[in-house]
Amino acid sequence: MTSYLVRRLLYAVLTFFGITVATFALIHIVPGDPISFFVGRAGATNIPAEMRAAIRHEFHLDEPLPVQYLYWFRGAVTFDFGASILDRRPVRERIAEKLPATFQLNFIAFLLAASIGIPIGLWSATRSGHLSERASAVGFFLLYSLPSFWVALLLMQWFAVHLELLPLFGMASNDYADMTPAQQFGDRARHLVLPVITMTYAQLAIFARFTKSAVTEVIRQDFITAARAKGAGTTAVLLRHAFRNALMPLITLLGITIPYLISGSVIVEQIFQWDGIGLLYYDAILSRDYPTVMGLTVVTAVVTLLAGLLADILYAVADPRVRLGEGAR
Amino acid sequence: MRRLATDISTLNPVVLGSRYDRYVANYLFTPLVYLDRSLQPIPGLADAWEISDDGLTYRFELNKKATFSNGRPVRAADVVYTLRKIADPKTKAVQVYDAFSSLDSAKTRAIDEHTVEVVFRQRLAAQLLRFNDVLVIPEDVYAVGDFGKDFTTSAVGSGPYRLVRRDVGKEIVLQRRKDYWRERPHIETVIFKVVNDHGTAFNALKSGDLDESVVPSDTWLREKNNPQITRTIDFQRFYSLNYNYIAWNNRDPLFKDKRIRRAMSMCIPIEAVIRDLFQGTARAMSGPFTPDEWAYNPNVPVVRYDPLGAQELLAAAGWKDSNRDGVLDKDGKPFRFDLVIMTGSATSTQFAQMAQAELKKVGVQVDIVMMDGAMAIQRLMAGNYQSAYLSWDLDADPDPYAIFHSSQSDGGGGQNFVFYANAEADRIMDEARRELDPSKRKDMYWRLHEILAEDQPYTWVVQVSAKWGLNKRVHGVESSRGFGFFQWYPGELGWWIAKPQSDPQRAASQPRDAARASAGS
Repeated sequence: MTSYLVRRLLYAVLTFFGITVATFALIHIVPGDPISFFVGRAGATNIPAEMRAAIRHEFHLDEPLPVQYLYWFRGAVTFDFGASILDRRPVRERIAEKLPATFQLNFIAFLLAASIGIPIGLWSATRSGHLSERASAVGFFLLYSLPSFWVALLLMQWFAVHLELLPLFGMASNDYADMTPAQQFGDRARHLVLPVITMTYAQLAIFARFTKSAVTEVIRQDFITAARAKGAGTTAVLLRHAFRNALMPLITLLGITIPYLISGSVIVEQIFQWDGIGLLYYDAILSRDYPTVMGLTVVTAVVTLLAGLLADILYAVADPRVRLGEGAR
Repeated sequence: MRRLATDISTLNPVVLGSRYDRYVANYLFTPLVYLDRSLQPIPGLADAWEISDDGLTYRFELNKKATFSNGRPVRAADVVYTLRKIADPKTKAVQVYDAFSSLDSAKTRAIDEHTVEVVFRQRLAAQLLRFNDVLVIPEDVYAVGDFGKDFTTSAVGSGPYRLVRRDVGKEIVLQRRKDYWRERPHIETVIFKVVNDHGTAFNALKSGDLDESVVPSDTWLREKNNPQITRTIDFQRFYSLNYNYIAWNNRDPLFKDKRIRRAMSMCIPIEAVIRDLFQGTARAMSGPFTPDEWAYNPNVPVVRYDPLGAQELLAAAGWKDSNRDGVLDKDGKPFRFDLVIMTGSATSTQFAQMAQAELKKVGVQVDIVMMDGAMAIQRLMAGNYQSAYLSWDLDADPDPYAIFHSSQSDGGGGQNFVFYANAEADRIMDEARRELDPSKRKDMYWRLHEILAEDQPYTWVVQVSAKWGLNKRVHGVESSRGFGFFQWYPGELGWWIAKPQSDPQRAASQPRDAARASAGS
């Protein structure tokens, strides 16, 4: 188990370096740099050559690429990701102030999607082939293919503009600062409803279908027939025998989903003005704000790798064969 | 409740980045001179000024009552400090540096507590107007700490409002100053909300969460006659100093010849563009100046849509369809080029497709290339493109030096990325930007207008009006000649809000709210 873990950890560290080098190279290779962003924003106002040179120098853009990377790396080992080219505030601060918003929204959506989606998946596995299961499958595919920006605007239209039941956008009401903690909690909850629905409905479909297909596969196998034959009830077979064996693909799904908890969604964040990571990433790329892009890359890369590591450990826990390593198979 | 379509980058008025930064700064700071409704200079922080005959020395008398929001009087030394900061390249005052790069920092000084003498090494006709961008800051506050980093979320200025808080990415709250030294504005609290998405912003206008917002052309045209919506929202539009154009790379073998550029312009169906694409909310352009500017020469005609004439011009330049494949050719090469457009604008794409279809009729093949802003601008600056559909936002002064003077290409720091070069035009632009006599200057620009229209370095397409939605409770909204609702005086500082009681709409909705509240509990 320990050697298995060490091996995985080593891979993760190497992958991490690979990701930072590749992202650094990519973002610099893409045509356009922060200067061209400044020029674009200035309109017909002239930005003289000496000013452009000064900005380049400030952010080391006048150095060769490998040297720029070393500058960045030197800061990054002490968790200093430099200052944003846009507003010169520390990248670390900019990310830290947006992470909680994204995490909060995505975590609630994730819990909802999993707690509704997995039972539905189990249910449809038992009804596989029945008309009701087919109908629900079609329903889920429909749900999954609805464009989220459209759903979001419709939800707004109904619940915020016409019915005036829920706030339109943002994370807090104007008088948030004057509220009691209980009121603040309620206010935040009301602001969360529409974005959470928008985030959940498509994920729900993924969880349901994923669970269903994993369990269906297991159900077909001989040991399930054996379990049935020895007289176990349908629910017992489903939960004790089928679902446990279907856990492996679900762990994979978990490993894939966790990084989304912090990576944010540009569309939902933009429409509901949920001030999170997705919007920050999007703006940083458009404005070629290299330090911010790199800072966000590190955060997402670390979480993704940790999630992968977690999934690997869970595999080993769930299935002893994994622990033994490839040679023993 | 106002909208910021993107969050501001800083509250420091010297290093402002975008127009949104300026929208906010306008409430917190006072410029040395304000611009009136026709964009002429009027007293701001300065009550009066004198300009020396050589146009190099400006003497400003500051308003003696002026105070900063921390209670301290505004002194001449603060003005000097602000100007020196702007003129220091290390400050990176991207938006204003150009107009103050010839400031003589050593000779610029405070004569007494309320008099400043500002000295330049070079005369600039637009200089007085550019003092509108000098938003004065108190030296004792801003000299402490890192100038670039430490004042992005705090502000001390001499404007009519003071900052309550800036919640980065979310909102900015401003409170009217009780001790303001000029006529106080009507509105007590101004809240800027960051709302990036246009769809959300329009919904917010409808629900009353926003009182004003720019509205995309398609939404504006669709909803402006919807009676349900016009009950609460006022749809307005105005022309700002802005136009759309096709830039032709004058160094590209295809577009070196001004006859070819004219032929291209003759293929753009301006009237159809205005009618179909903008439903009449745009107007044709004949050259580099908009009809609202004094530099605009009304005698210069708009290039008429004339595909047959264009074909003749192309034939005269040697372009014929010799192999009968429907595309013109010359020396075995087809007439084919890339048109760059920027992502994010539906009307740009529609326009490009219209141009593509029209040019195909005369045997010219256009390939539309979409790029994001930063990428497109880098290609343009490097001259690595053939043509591009773009737009300019202009300054209050019409000087087009940075765009069309031949010194402003090739790393000259300017934005003449079409590589236009005409000796007479260069001479006029050189002289006009130093000429202090307004009537002489006007004659020069009228002549320049003719030359540029003749040479067609651009195809001037249209000036599209800015489209706005305003809650009907907002009153006193007026448009200036060129700056629209904002940034002139009084502009947005003259707005006022009707009391809720006088609004029958709101009164009628109150019982409904009460009923719902009781039903919910």
